[in-house]
Amino acid sequence: MREDGAVAGPALDGVRILDVSGGLAGPLGVLQLAEHGADVIKIEPPGGSRARHSPGSRVYNRSRRSVTLDLSHADGARLFRELCGTADVVVEAFAPGTMARWGLDDESLREEFPRLVYCAVPAWPSGSRFEGIPGYEALVHARSGQQWETTSFRNGPVFLHNPVASMGAAMLVPIAIMSALVARDRTGRGQRVEVSLLQGVLSLTTQNWNWTDRGQFQLPKTHPPGVHQGSIHECADGEWIHVPASGGTAPSRSVASVLGLEEVSFDQLFAMSPADRDDYVARQREAFKRHECADLVERFRAAGLNAEAIVPPHERFDHPQLRASGSVVEVVDPEVGPTTQIGVTIFLEGTPGEVRGPQPMPGAHTDEVLRSLGHDGAELADLRARGVV
Amino acid sequence: MPPPLEGIRVVDFGQYLAGPFGPMLLADLGADVVKVEPTRGDGMRGGFIGPFMGCQRGKRDIALDLKHPEGLRVALELVATADIVHHNMTLGTADRLGIGYEGCKAVRPDILYCNTYMYGPVGPLASFGGVDPLAQAAAGLEWEQGPVAEGNPPLWYRYGHGDVAAAIPSVSALLIALYHRNRTGEGQLVWASLLHGAMLYTADSWIAADGTPSPRPTLDREQLGLDALYRLYETQDGWLQLAAVRDDHWPALCRVLHREDLVDDARFATGADRRQHRAELTALLADAFMGDLATNWRRALRSVGVPAEISVDTWDGETVLFDDELVRLGLVARYDHPLLGRVRQFGNLITFSDTPGSQERATPLCGQHTQEILHELGYDAAAIEAFRDDGVVTWPGDDYAFGV
Repeated sequence: MREDGAVAGPALDGVRILDVSGGLAGPLGVLQLAEHGADVIKIEPPGGSRARHSPGSRVYNRSRRSVTLDLSHADGARLFRELCGTADVVVEAFAPGTMARWGLDDESLREEFPRLVYCAVPAWPSGSRFEGIPGYEALVHARSGQQWETTSFRNGPVFLHNPVASMGAAMLVPIAIMSALVARDRTGRGQRVEVSLLQGVLSLTTQNWNWTDRGQFQLPKTHPPGVHQGSIHECADGEWIHVPASGGTAPSRSVASVLGLEEVSFDQLFAMSPADRDDYVARQREAFKRHECADLVERFRAAGLNAEAIVPPHERFDHPQLRASGSVVEVVDPEVGPTTQIGVTIFLEGTPGEVRGPQPMPGAHTDEVLRSLGHDGAELADLRARGVV
Repeated sequence: MPPPLEGIRVVDFGQYLAGPFGPMLLADLGADVVKVEPTRGDGMRGGFIGPFMGCQRGKRDIALDLKHPEGLRVALELVATADIVHHNMTLGTADRLGIGYEGCKAVRPDILYCNTYMYGPVGPLASFGGVDPLAQAAAGLEWEQGPVAEGNPPLWYRYGHGDVAAAIPSVSALLIALYHRNRTGEGQLVWASLLHGAMLYTADSWIAADGTPSPRPTLDREQLGLDALYRLYETQDGWLQLAAVRDDHWPALCRVLHREDLVDDARFATGADRRQHRAELTALLADAFMGDLATNWRRALRSVGVPAEISVDTWDGETVLFDDELVRLGLVARYDHPLLGRVRQFGNLITFSDTPGSQERATPLCGQHTQEILHELGYDAAAIEAFRDDGVVTWPGDDYAFGV
């Protein structure tokens, strides 16, 4: 609420983004701006984006309108240019050269629309020798070394289930766009910004890849994996719990006390002989196995200690902190009906964000948007008949 | 042209990782970031030189005792000159110190104030601090990477996926708020958390009205892939990541592997068939890939348009950070640190055509810019010395105690 009592509009009211990207990084990146008020128009080929077959598309592509447009068709490209005249931002994630082939490269678009921000989300950095490598997530993991960085129970590379290259890029895309819009406030001009999936990976290396003349400093790399892995325990019901050694809030009891074990400080633990330490750790593991997971989580938290049940993704909706912040939302999808999804994940207290609707059906807003550009019914029928929209 | 956030001043009261990484990105974007550090040093300076540098470059640093009335006064004078305040203290801590949102708003009415949390400021765990594994556990990451469904224990990702998921989105929140402030003149309070940020990683998971979870790709027990055709395979001299995910990749793959017989094998006729017979197909392909070197497979597969890459061990990032082309493209940062010499880390995470950022300013020593910043606030040399004598501020001397 403002002091005059009026409720503030969403922060990005009046910002229009054309999202031509498919896949994950572009749509999920743009989602964070859509749910803070940007008017996002998803541009996809007639029949819908290929990425729609992925279940996650229903989340990544919500809170926006959909216009189907064949950009490879001259009339489609012309309509896209018209839309650019009404937009602040274009986001694309094609293989290099694709937009140029359609006459929609960033240079010609920015020449015609100097205030336009053009955001490219390629797999590999433009101008690098990697450009020709296909843009599959796991290829970026392989080439960037990520598969050798998360240690497991064996030596050798590990396939990462978490698509961290795309996820890193998805987190950087809103920053890239907003930085360029803030710069535009000063310069009056848009620009090209690029977030490659490789840069998405690099954003994760902050704790680990730091080389200096005095040596290389990082979190230790061990088999089996280190201290945080060691605080994962199996419980009586076969569920798993993570009880890190730090955090919480002014604990009233210790982990050992909750488990009914004698107190052993870190210093004492490290002073033990390897055999004694193994014995203590084994007794600790046994103690965890005497309790049910949910019960232990409850008891640790009541003592001011941190603990989380290690859950599959669909069980995360029960988390009390997600419930309390309104981050679990019902979204009525036009194809599968009511769904439970994760809501807004960044919070602006003065201008709260919100989910603004499900993933639209392909082309659900084609007429509405093209009519707003001044195209009439006869023209739209002709475009439709020719497969342009 | 100057960088995107030229002229924006940030005061960073955070410590450790999930806070300070955000202001570091703001510094990369050209903001003037002042790290306000306890006189005893950020808790990370001791044993975690690498992670500390990974979250602090590009900042100036004033070492200040916020619990001293004069220290608090100086901090608020600094806030009065700032656009953004950022930190990762637990709920209520900043208020108790006198640098909470209300305290900062009193001296800078349009301040953009960001607090990153473990769990967010509402709910039964609002006052809990936390660490990365809690977010990885709660989001489903550890369960799926185990994979627990295949009988393995959960696996924690060593790369702090939870930490970065709080820090990076906090910058998005601030830039959205900055854009809004530029239009309305209004500041506001924003927040992000490890828990909420980590939800982005598994955002694709939803539940239907009847309680059925959305289908998800599953990792195999060997932690090598999501499918026989989207998987790591061992070769005679290393590992190859195969991504033969399109239907037209299948016959081409069979020919390269000299297994043309599989093309007409009814078990593998369609994509659905190949997924259904994942284990059999995986065993056949694993056997075939052991017949040659990874480089030979990659060359042969590329020549027929089947995506594949060698899985590279970078030896702790060395082959990436010393890659001339990535250096040329600005993806590697290089700067000199007074104690550590030449430093290399990741560079630009975003490439700007017109207003590039930079990472030329080193990670600061504790209190490295104390005098400079106090001078900017209008204090003369005598006053600055008096502050130090009273224990309000410090700066590095001959007895500098930290490794970074």
